Amino acid sequence: MDIFVGLASVLSDPVLLGWVFLAAIVGMIVGAIPGLTASAAIAMLLPLTFYMEPLPALAFLYVIGKSGRYGGSIAAILFNTPGTAASAATQLDGYPLAQRGMAGKAMKVATISSVIGDFVGEILLILGVAWIASIALRLGPPELFAVYFAAFIVIGSVIGKSVTRGLASAALGILVAMIGLDPISSTERFTFGSFDLTNGISLVPLMIGIFVLGEVFTQIESRGAKTEMVANDQGDAARNRLSWAEYKPCLPHVIRSSFIGAFIGMLPGLGSAIAAFVAYGEGKRRAKNPEAWGSGALEGIAAPEAANNAVSGPSMAPLLTLGIPGSTIGAILIGVFLIHGIQIGPTMFLTSRDLVFALFACGLIGIVMYGVIGYFGAAFVGRFITRIPTHVLYPIIFLTSFVAAYTSRGNLFDVYVMVAAGFAGWAMRKLHFNPAAFVISFVLAGGAEETFRQTMLMSDNGMMIFVTRPIALVFLLIGIAAMAARVRSVNRQARALAAGTSG
Amino acid sequence: MQRRTFIKTGLSASAMLAAGPALAEWVPRRPINAILPYSAGGGTDALARAAAASADGILPVPLVIVNKPGSSGITGATEAAAARPDGNTVMVTSAGSFLLTSMLRDTDVNPFDSFETIAQIGNLTPAVIVPANSPFQSVQDLVDAARDAPGALRWAHNGRGGFHQVAGQSFLDRNELVAQDVPFKGGGPTRAAVIGEQVDFAFVGIQQAAGFENELRVLALAAPERDAIRNDVPTLAELGFDYVAVSSPIVFFAPKGTDPEVVSGMEAALKAITETDQFAALMRERGNVPAFLGGADTTARLRQMQQETQPVIDALKSQG
Repeated sequence: MDIFVGLASVLSDPVLLGWVFLAAIVGMIVGAIPGLTASAAIAMLLPLTFYMEPLPALAFLYVIGKSGRYGGSIAAILFNTPGTAASAATQLDGYPLAQRGMAGKAMKVATISSVIGDFVGEILLILGVAWIASIALRLGPPELFAVYFAAFIVIGSVIGKSVTRGLASAALGILVAMIGLDPISSTERFTFGSFDLTNGISLVPLMIGIFVLGEVFTQIESRGAKTEMVANDQGDAARNRLSWAEYKPCLPHVIRSSFIGAFIGMLPGLGSAIAAFVAYGEGKRRAKNPEAWGSGALEGIAAPEAANNAVSGPSMAPLLTLGIPGSTIGAILIGVFLIHGIQIGPTMFLTSRDLVFALFACGLIGIVMYGVIGYFGAAFVGRFITRIPTHVLYPIIFLTSFVAAYTSRGNLFDVYVMVAAGFAGWAMRKLHFNPAAFVISFVLAGGAEETFRQTMLMSDNGMMIFVTRPIALVFLLIGIAAMAARVRSVNRQARALAAGTSG
Repeated sequence: MQRRTFIKTGLSASAMLAAGPALAEWVPRRPINAILPYSAGGGTDALARAAAASADGILPVPLVIVNKPGSSGITGATEAAAARPDGNTVMVTSAGSFLLTSMLRDTDVNPFDSFETIAQIGNLTPAVIVPANSPFQSVQDLVDAARDAPGALRWAHNGRGGFHQVAGQSFLDRNELVAQDVPFKGGGPTRAAVIGEQVDFAFVGIQQAAGFENELRVLALAAPERDAIRNDVPTLAELGFDYVAVSSPIVFFAPKGTDPEVVSGMEAALKAITETDQFAALMRERGNVPAFLGGADTTARLRQMQQETQPVIDALKSQG
């Protein structure tokens, strides 16, 4: 087994272990700072790695990617602001827990789930790298569209009381995603002659605006009757202790989400944000306590956190063997391989086999490291943060969101986008529209449109192409069936409610 | 190797005297940020980073590649054009794509009015590739199939308005063929679409085929001369097919108004970089070779390409 050789050689190299350790810490920090994503940090640190040997360089960036995806959960739980796009789903349940003074517990769940998810992904990668690549190759635009289509169901799981408003929010998200260059013809859409809009709206400022600024505005408005974030210091430690009985119900969700994440990681272009949302949606659908999800269910943290980290490993398979990045971080890693003169492609496992398995070994070690640091460190940070009074905390968050929106791409236009999105998020909360549905459909719409139109160009007879491609057909049917089931349960609930009020 | 050591010594002794007289008057003090208007990992990125890696010892400061993707390369170009023309910010881009995009869309920036051309360091040339299992053994097979069933073949490229698409479409036009294009985002996904047999053929950079010899077959190169590395691949001209030579030089640009001394200093430094063994080795690993061309020659080449592709661009524009 190549991986044991890899592990042995990595463990006997203290300098390499030092880089992996550093990466675990750096990744957590940048992940935890709202807006400063792991991929941005990797892009920034890339030049540094030119002076390093190939293996430490790759391991450093690879592990930053892993621990950064995990670090995003810290900000999501503490500030209701996703540190990375991948942790947007985590905040749905993480923040309510933090408000009840259980941030430490939420972060422990996030840590354990991330570690398990990451491990599952990494093991799948090590066992089946060639197999994963062959699957990825068979999935063309029709199959990818079908997966996007099925992923749209998750919107149903975040829609609250009003179905109409939820669907309207989703439609609005799709509309905003259409701004920019048409993915097929490269012509401008909804740009109104503005150059900045030809780029489209970036996810990071949009998300910070909707979730963070929107939250801050809501807090300002309800200043008189504000909700205190923590009660007192007494019993803090007791509240934040995580028992096996509490984590046990999370476990099935973690396992399922790990495989969802791993599967999405194999598909080029979908990425960890979508994995997290799909896992959350699927988890809520199958949960015994769906009503608790969204108001502080531990399972609601476990599911997306396991999924977004499980993406990391399998996304390396199409990257290494086919040169297709499964994520932004993957795209940057390709650059590192190129710089160090390592030829990506199927021949890589012949020419650089030792290096590849040593890199996977570094990944495994990195997971253990951020897991240990996170489990003990995050609880401490959580205790500290929850002692800050809200009138100090919210102005700081307000300021951070401006910095974060700017630093994600170094573009002032993104700050305007964030402010506009902030007012939109506040208005949506006020009018009971659904910010989560808006952001999810925004994330999915771009890829769904591109793959659908590619499919139509490939097809000789329009929609019939989906019938002739079995994998695509299966995913489309899953999507349709899940939607039908969803509509039925909504109808049933509505009837039950009507019966309840009349009787 | 000897020359490189020589350059290094010259550099550390007194501000790069060895690389040429112009260099002596220009000594960068801060790291040079080279804006690359595409995402990391693409063909342009690979060559630019090879240059940056080889700059060690020639430039006294690091050459940092900054990826600013978006809007088919126009976002980064706009930012680079607006940068302070002090030599601390330059742009390295696929100049053919940049030129075509500026012709196709009403962009505020273009290679001639917004930038000073520093130099070309390499070249990207489109090639016709098919999956390894494809029934098409030659370009003739492909052309015959396209004639038999107009519009039935599907071909991939990495985005409309890019030089691969213009090269492919003009090849089809000149040979009176009809095939349906399917745009993908970037070279990697385009190549994957061919390997996975999602499409019948593709126009991609010949370098994309490196490392995928068992999965892909390269039928022809769309260039006047054979590729230096893949010299087993015939050119379309050799095979007797009409085509338009659309390729993309990798060019360093400085914002308009940059001091001519700085520009010529950089030109000399880039010349020295392209002559290093390290750059040649890195380029070879990427399936490419260094191809240095001075600023004036590069501009002339781009002007010529502008004239030759104008008809194709006009046709594309009228199609909407």
